[in-house]
Amino acid sequence: MPWFNHAVDDSAGGDPSASWLATAALYYLGLSAQPEVVPNQRIASDSLKNGLPCNNCMTDRIRRSWLLVPMSKPERVDSAHLAGADVVVLDLAELVAERDKPAARDNMQQALGRVRAGGSEAFAQVDPELLYADLRASVWPELTGVVVNRLESPDQIRETSRLLDELEEERGLIPGSLAIVASVETAKGNLNAHEIATASPRVTGLTLGRADLVMDLRPEPSGEIHLYQYLMQRLIIVANSFGVTPIGAWWRAPDRGLLATPERTLEAAIRGRAIGFKGSMCLLDAQVSSLNEGFTPAAFEIEAASKLTAAYRDRVGGPGPAILADTMTVSGVEGFGDLIAEPAAVDQARNLIDLAGRCGARDEAKNAALEQRPVPAP
Amino acid sequence: MVERRKVRRSGLTMPVVTPRFVDAAWTRGCDYINLDLEDSVPIHLKGYARGLIKDAIGNVSKGGAEAFTRINHDFIQADLESIIWPGLEKVNYPKAEYACEIEKLDWIITRLERERGIRHGSVEIGTNIETSVGVANSYEIASASPRIKEFGGATGYDMSRDLGVEMFVGFDQFVYGKGEVELTARALGLEVRAAPYTANVSGSVSDPDRAFEEAEAARRCGFRIGGGLHPNVVAPQVKGFTPNQDEVDDARWVLEQVRDLEGSSDTWKEVVKDGQARIVDAYEAERATELLEWAELCAQRDQGKEEAVARTRAEEAAVKTGQATSGGN
Repeated sequence: MPWFNHAVDDSAGGDPSASWLATAALYYLGLSAQPEVVPNQRIASDSLKNGLPCNNCMTDRIRRSWLLVPMSKPERVDSAHLAGADVVVLDLAELVAERDKPAARDNMQQALGRVRAGGSEAFAQVDPELLYADLRASVWPELTGVVVNRLESPDQIRETSRLLDELEEERGLIPGSLAIVASVETAKGNLNAHEIATASPRVTGLTLGRADLVMDLRPEPSGEIHLYQYLMQRLIIVANSFGVTPIGAWWRAPDRGLLATPERTLEAAIRGRAIGFKGSMCLLDAQVSSLNEGFTPAAFEIEAASKLTAAYRDRVGGPGPAILADTMTVSGVEGFGDLIAEPAAVDQARNLIDLAGRCGARDEAKNAALEQRPVPAP
Repeated sequence: MVERRKVRRSGLTMPVVTPRFVDAAWTRGCDYINLDLEDSVPIHLKGYARGLIKDAIGNVSKGGAEAFTRINHDFIQADLESIIWPGLEKVNYPKAEYACEIEKLDWIITRLERERGIRHGSVEIGTNIETSVGVANSYEIASASPRIKEFGGATGYDMSRDLGVEMFVGFDQFVYGKGEVELTARALGLEVRAAPYTANVSGSVSDPDRAFEEAEAARRCGFRIGGGLHPNVVAPQVKGFTPNQDEVDDARWVLEQVRDLEGSSDTWKEVVKDGQARIVDAYEAERATELLEWAELCAQRDQGKEEAVARTRAEEAAVKTGQATSGGN
């Protein structure tokens, strides 16, 4: 039997967003019930991002920590919302023993609600060979998206996307709203990363997942994990070239399979952010705050960025003389030498300040959710 | 037919035109001997060298080593005509750059196998990626023939020349190219010919300690293929690529621990062994299984070589005795 065992009726297809718009139109004409709107989700549209695939317009979301929680461990599931993760990934694939899978799927809907109540976004990790069962168990209004592990081909993305189309319609979710994060953990998956990233506008993220284990990449004498530097850089370039978020961290031995001490997790996150990752997956509650910290700009960075942008504003915006190169250096920023206030550096500084602000807002939203205060709009 | 994994921990590449190397090759304890027609043979000796291969194949494999030949990138036809004889396991093709080169090698080898009574498809092609063009085309090259069983490169003297960089520097100057080639090998399910980076600023080809350290680091990293230029490095490589008793014991321990996981809801557990926290899971079990299989293959290979050496020595002794006897009459 092929890995997809589910007939797809293309005749009912067409533009998925069109059916939602039709429902909305009927509602405003008083002819139907209000279309269900899932909080924090927007309609996919190709027009919203300069003609690039939209990726659900979610690539700017703050998702620093992705905590993988095995659905077969009720005590872990029950406490996941307290870990402070930006995203909780409820796992049906990697960490769940085969015999526990049916029960794990049955618990999914309830677990999703609990995770969302703690302010985390909720993803499900599904097995590409068990897509039908795993997705039927996971697609509920509280779900933000799915991580598909051990992804190897763009066909698997297309099949995932088709099943999500159906389930969104069946369960009254906004068409096209569910995201896919592709976890490329095999050599084939990494080789096909480009095709995988472009196989569906739902793909919002690429990650190496537990490639070090799946591909049996072992520590080198230097402490680096063999081949990992190459794979990280490749993934980051592929992801960015298609507006997809690269998710990962620069792990080093003895870190293994997303597992590390909190201290080593922080180091991996800081290194990972330095080469372009925006957040990483992890296995333990104790790693979450390290990821949140490591992927948030540090105070000294924000200070330097603020001084740089302020200096640039003064000199460019002020009534001074024509701008000369030697007037554009900014000195006296603690921990830095003379900085050059040229447009790219200033733009980067502004992005950093913006990122820091959004990280702060994300933390505030999670705290508010935990304290059951109203969650500020994103 | 399931092919057994080849044990190629150590091997010497030698000019086929140098009799003192070729005649002593079978005593070196190598897993393979690579008879060179390429860079170690001057251009005016190429024709002479080709004529030596047929006898050399039998000569160098008397001690149980596999016999390979490295041909010239530019003389495919003439080289292949003179080297494809029974007993040759592999043709090494240097500086591979395009899939069509491999396809052509395959056609010629296929014809020569048929003409010379060699089992169809049995002669391997070893391609070495040694240029930027080769790196760029590595997937097409590696998938061009089923005769390619192992794949690697993007490092070494030729690659350094291609890039115009020094080879012996204190950092890894080939990260990208090696990554491309290794990803190709893994995606196609080929045996990976690679090694972890270890700084080498001396460039010595005969340092036994360094050879052992590199081989051991490569083995720990999961790699299984060695090779060199100097007899000094053969024994250290054989030792370095063979699992030691501690590792074999540890692998058995891992498999026992994993057995405890079966039937539970845990997919991994942490166990303290010798004061160290260790993770045990299906991935560790896979590594342990591979290690035990590899250790077994190494032991069989060593035994096979010992037997071959003993056989050859006995034959030589018989010949000598025969000569002495006939001389006495």
